[in-house]
Amino acid sequence: MLDELDELRRGHVTQRHLDDCARTMRRLDGSAKAAAHGIRQIAETEFAALPALHALLRRWAVRVKSDADVPLLVAHFERLALVSALTSALHRAAERLPRSLR
Amino acid sequence: MSRASTTKTEGRGSKASPASSVVLSKEAQAQLSRWPATAQRLLTELLEDAASDLQRELLQRAVAAGHTPNEVHAFADQLRAMGDDDAFTACTLDESAPSDYTVAQLLRAEADPLYAFELKGGTLEPSDDEVPLAKPPPPVDLNALKRRPSSGFVADSNDVGPLIREEPTFTRRPAAASEPHAPFSSGGTPSAMIEDVFSEATRALGLEWQESEVDVPGGLSLETAISDSAVALSEGLPVPLALGAAPGKSGRLVLAIQLSVSGHNRAWQLYDPFSNELVWANERDLLNRNELPFSNKVFRRVTRVVLPSRRR
Repeated sequence: MLDELDELRRGHVTQRHLDDCARTMRRLDGSAKAAAHGIRQIAETEFAALPALHALLRRWAVRVKSDADVPLLVAHFERLALVSALTSALHRAAERLPRSLR
Repeated sequence: MSRASTTKTEGRGSKASPASSVVLSKEAQAQLSRWPATAQRLLTELLEDAASDLQRELLQRAVAAGHTPNEVHAFADQLRAMGDDDAFTACTLDESAPSDYTVAQLLRAEADPLYAFELKGGTLEPSDDEVPLAKPPPPVDLNALKRRPSSGFVADSNDVGPLIREEPTFTRRPAAASEPHAPFSSGGTPSAMIEDVFSEATRALGLEWQESEVDVPGGLSLETAISDSAVALSEGLPVPLALGAAPGKSGRLVLAIQLSVSGHNRAWQLYDPFSNELVWANERDLLNRNELPFSNKVFRRVTRVVLPSRRR
């Protein structure tokens, strides 16, 4: 996951893009076939201008083979967005810690 | 698997295997305890003969994933002929992986290098001699845990503790909630320094955060903080933690990313973006308040926890 985030950051994918992606993924239909199609649609219509995120979505889309994969994948993208947001917040929050304790 | 996650689970939660300076993770030890003595000695030799720390780590993870002694031996034979770069490539699935692998397979491959090796086309030829293993511990029954009254996780007991609670998971705690394990009498209010930073960061995802100091008057006991954090992690929510040398002294912020349950043991994956370390820490080490597997040993215990709640 950290490698994926690193790749996305290098591809200039912002937190807002990740949040939007996670929220959009939540709307995916439960069936594997529909979800795989849905992910490709999301990649093409919403993130075509972001090659790194576009490529990541398409890579995962081909791996959705069973209905059980769908919630796992949705959760993965939610965690990507969360980990990214929280990691950035850790840096900001660290500035609030008393200097003597750092 | 990423190179950053070649884990460091050393510390009081791990111990050296017999006649060896190699330190085994608690997950690997749990599986190893089922192996016959001869197989355990063979593993010791395999670890000592391994060409590098990376190969030792790959073998440990294969043991922790529950592979048989013969499978681990065959895996070691394959790895021995490889350099670190080749071994890493052989045991890591990335975007070059065949397209017919499912999400579940890929996520399993992240944790189990032997499985990843076989998925990538590697072949093992384990010996046909069957090595009888001791009966495995019964799997954790989550439905039974749900029905149990919430009791939290106690380090020295055999109970894992509830992963999913029936009562609302993340409600705001009163300032001086009664804590069965709290070493201090109630009084005073915990100081909230950083929770709004996290709430702002995850506002778009519908999450709020509540911060609590740990093992201070008016705060949470470490046992409760760990138990509540484990609930969040089991639901896929990372948890920010502050580490320090003593209660009230938060010197470093890290992120608990995921939980791994193996039998009666739980291991936490912790990420420190400041030192760029990604480690696995046994829950017993967290509860012992003495040492964590980060390189900076000053930050030896959890001093503050920031727990998530859904926005209403």
